[in-house]
Amino acid sequence: MGELEIFLQILFWGLYAGCIYILLATGLNLIFGVMKIVNFAHGEFLMVGAYVTATVFALTGLNPYVIILFSMVVLVAIGAAVERFCFRPILGTGKLNEIFLSLGLIYLFQNLAALIWTDKWQSIQSPYASISIPIGPLNVPLDYIIIIVVTAIILAGLHLFLKRSRTGRAMRATSQNRKGAMLVGIDVERMDVFSFSIGCALAAAAGTLWVVSGQVFNPYMGSIPAVKAFAIIILGGLGSIPGAIIGGLIYGVAENGAAFLLGGMWKDAVSFIILIVVLVVRPTGLFGESGE
Amino acid sequence: MRYAVLFIACVIGAILFAGCTQQTPSQTTQPEEIKIGVIVSMTGPASNVGKNMWQSAVVAADEINADGGVFIKEYNKKIPIRLIQGDDESTQQGGQKAVTKLITDDKVDILVGGYSSAVTSTYEQIVADHKVPFIVTGASSPIITHRTDIDTSYIFHHCPTTDSYGQYTTWFIDQVIRPAINAKFGFPDDRNLRVAIIYQDSPFGKGGLSAMNNTITNDKLKMEIVGQQSYKMGESDFRTVLTSIKATNPDVVYAVVFPNEMAQMLPQARRDVQMDTIFLVPENNDAPEYYKGIGNYGEYSIIESRFSPYTAPKGPIADAAMAFKNKFKDKWGAFPDMMGASTYEGIYIAAKVSENAGTLNKDAIRQALGTLSMPQMVEAMSDGTISFSKDFRESRFDLYMEQLIWDPTVNECRPVIVWPDALKDTSFVLPDWYKPGSA
Amino acid sequence: MDRERLIRYLSLLVIGVAAVLPFVLEANLYLLNVLILMLIFIIFSSSWNLLAYSGQGSLGHAAFFGIGGYASTLIAVQSGLSPYVTIFLGGAIAAGIGVLIGLTCVRLKEWFLAMVTFGFAIIVQAITVSFLASLTGGWDGIASPRLVSSQVPGYILIEYYSILAITAGVILLIYLIFKSKIGMAFLAIRENEIEARVSGVDPVRYKLLAFAISAGLAGVAGALEIHYFGYITPEIYGIDISFWPIIYTILGGLGTIAGPVVGTVVLTILWDGLKVFGLTYERYIIIGAILILSVIFLPKGLVSLPDKIAGWWKRRQKKSPDAGT
Repeated sequence: MGELEIFLQILFWGLYAGCIYILLATGLNLIFGVMKIVNFAHGEFLMVGAYVTATVFALTGLNPYVIILFSMVVLVAIGAAVERFCFRPILGTGKLNEIFLSLGLIYLFQNLAALIWTDKWQSIQSPYASISIPIGPLNVPLDYIIIIVVTAIILAGLHLFLKRSRTGRAMRATSQNRKGAMLVGIDVERMDVFSFSIGCALAAAAGTLWVVSGQVFNPYMGSIPAVKAFAIIILGGLGSIPGAIIGGLIYGVAENGAAFLLGGMWKDAVSFIILIVVLVVRPTGLFGESGE
Repeated sequence: MRYAVLFIACVIGAILFAGCTQQTPSQTTQPEEIKIGVIVSMTGPASNVGKNMWQSAVVAADEINADGGVFIKEYNKKIPIRLIQGDDESTQQGGQKAVTKLITDDKVDILVGGYSSAVTSTYEQIVADHKVPFIVTGASSPIITHRTDIDTSYIFHHCPTTDSYGQYTTWFIDQVIRPAINAKFGFPDDRNLRVAIIYQDSPFGKGGLSAMNNTITNDKLKMEIVGQQSYKMGESDFRTVLTSIKATNPDVVYAVVFPNEMAQMLPQARRDVQMDTIFLVPENNDAPEYYKGIGNYGEYSIIESRFSPYTAPKGPIADAAMAFKNKFKDKWGAFPDMMGASTYEGIYIAAKVSENAGTLNKDAIRQALGTLSMPQMVEAMSDGTISFSKDFRESRFDLYMEQLIWDPTVNECRPVIVWPDALKDTSFVLPDWYKPGSA
Repeated sequence: MDRERLIRYLSLLVIGVAAVLPFVLEANLYLLNVLILMLIFIIFSSSWNLLAYSGQGSLGHAAFFGIGGYASTLIAVQSGLSPYVTIFLGGAIAAGIGVLIGLTCVRLKEWFLAMVTFGFAIIVQAITVSFLASLTGGWDGIASPRLVSSQVPGYILIEYYSILAITAGVILLIYLIFKSKIGMAFLAIRENEIEARVSGVDPVRYKLLAFAISAGLAGVAGALEIHYFGYITPEIYGIDISFWPIIYTILGGLGTIAGPVVGTVVLTILWDGLKVFGLTYERYIIIGAILILSVIFLPKGLVSLPDKIAGWWKRRQKKSPDAGT
């Protein structure tokens, strides 16, 4: 196996790993843009999305890629409820209160999931698990290609929604200037609900893709991806969606590169080393505007 | 200032008071039951193992109590067992609280359980200080009974340690896989077999790594370790680690990993990184979810085992294991796992030593544990008996090797025992797709 | 002034209760153990609270907790010094590293700061198990001498009173800092850094000072826990360890002296109290719900509860005559 081939492979694993991060990070960033909050419990929505997918799959035997729509709808509802009853009352009371609230939500969601679905780890097999497609020197499983394509479609859809639709434009206006948006008659509280729900739907999509790619899941699976997604949006710049995508790709590739060159235990640490170096140079992240 | 002086006076007064009132031991009434404290992780990330351990303990206690309990000579009657649960919450702080509660509030006679070496080693001190016999049935690190900074003489280890994991696997590779490869590919007999190791960066993973290293050196085996890679516990993406391992061209890969990790690693290795090689994993992987998770990518891979959901060495062990599995299934609607099996035996050991000691005196029970020799139950033991070694108080398991074979009727792989010769059902097969490594 | 005096008497009463508690509980080992861990986490939460008071919310305080634990253990093992000395040396080393970490953080705010501190806890853990593995025992961990040898009769009580004294000392220290010029400077920086600079407060200096004190106290807390456990493993850098001081402090009341104490005590009682009922997941669900409700209805923490009740009472009394007519 040549050096180039190994490099290409690692790059591809990074790209694939980046997809789940990007979906989570984009959702977090959308929420941050509009509401100026970061939900540390975002990974729990990924976890719920994974369980919803697995449960529907077990009950109906539908193609898991179709279930993605269902799990997104479920999470839109959960997201709206969490926004309305948990985050809205504490808006503006301080960043640390948001962390505190997220920790409460983490306890709540993880243990509710453990009650409902037990805490045994599970996994399911995609119907395409045995199909691989040779691309150049690589032999790429079909599932990974679908995952990358689905991620791209979701991101393109989000882009269109934000640019073209009325609601999307109102959301962008709110994230640029909340008071101004209020003055021109935008219902900013409705925008809060929308952004939070869409963010949760993206996490649900990530959850479905997680399950379909054959990764195991349990009630505690959400915390680590959420922290990484959080680090990614800090790296890319809070509120910047291109920043989230590029940050996600950098992380996916850097982690895999570090695992290859330094050993697996440096995988998590290296992403934070990158983060710290970037922030020392640019305190607002790669694409962040200076100041808030 | 006045505030500080007052406070210091307060504390000094209290300490003096404390010195005067030494605790007197509580009166000895005739006990109505044997209290066994079961330390398990009922909550937190390790809870799925912990719950299985607790449920298995309950099955054992129910069986013993259905028989009237345990005969204690001192009281000249049979008394029942009562299990008291101690939830360590999968954390060190939680473990401390759970163990002190069991020892001082519940005043247990014997402790059984303990999972995760990191959690167990932080509360071991309390067990040692209070001299409560403790049968460890879940933590795999040999440090538990080998450490010298505390008195571990009350602590007995009844589950295989990482030392035995690595040793048995290495022997199997040397005695079975190496000759099979040499025969099939016409290699000379003195060719060094190329082993690569992937291990979890934890006492568990490192223990397996060093045990294999030691066995190769001590037994002067014709094997060399050509690559080693570690990863952090809970990892789900192993492709890069596997790519590095593949680049070292191994003949076999020894993966010292947890089942939730291996269920992802094996498909990634066989499908994504296309490693046409034999994977070997330690005994903790032999669980129903593992078979479900690996799908057909597990075919022909090897699991070291002491208790399997789907097979057992023929003879009395198979019957006992089947009876235990059925009882467990009736009560809890699931399969017991290997940690559950050793905890089930742990409760029986606790009952047996109480009977042998003829009293609930803790020192007498410890001595009874030291001289214990009882027939094996649901897991194969060396010499067919459960007994603890004189030096480090470890029981000796007879680990066996299973090869996974695809079973189209259940659409999952199923294990067959291929080693050692005394226990095996059939012989190890080198699959057609297998490719040996090369320098 | 009256209120000040009330608080003094109240805190004296609390210490008095803490001092006689072991006798009320008849030196029950389990409850003493819960109390000792509670005291250690009071120190840890108070140290986090001090840093937050200067406007810097850390998400990786376990780094200092762990550094204190490892440094104190290694010094005690290598030199044979008593843990009573080494806990403070461990704290000093944590403070030194705290300044270094603080240096990278001075330009950062809010989430950025949070994430960098979080990252440091992970990096410190990676260093502990890789480069320093020969010293620290890697993931196996190493044994640590106990604060008081278990051969000494009544050792657990001596440990309890030692830790109680240190806790009281730490809280007194933080009280003095809050009341001093330094505390004023912290507050000024938190409220508005530019204005603080204009009025002659050097934000960088005071931010680093806050980092040093906070990291040092967290290090002492970590060292105490480790010498109490008698064993240290890299799990001490865990994410959950970083989250506890945040939960305790904000539940009690951010930026107040009593907040971390009240929060730790209340949550410990709840946590271990609910365990008595044999609840497992339900316990976490109840605690999670309590955390959510508390931050919604009491955003200033449990310490604001008396004021809130008083306010509610006043409003009620004002209203009731109206209702009568």
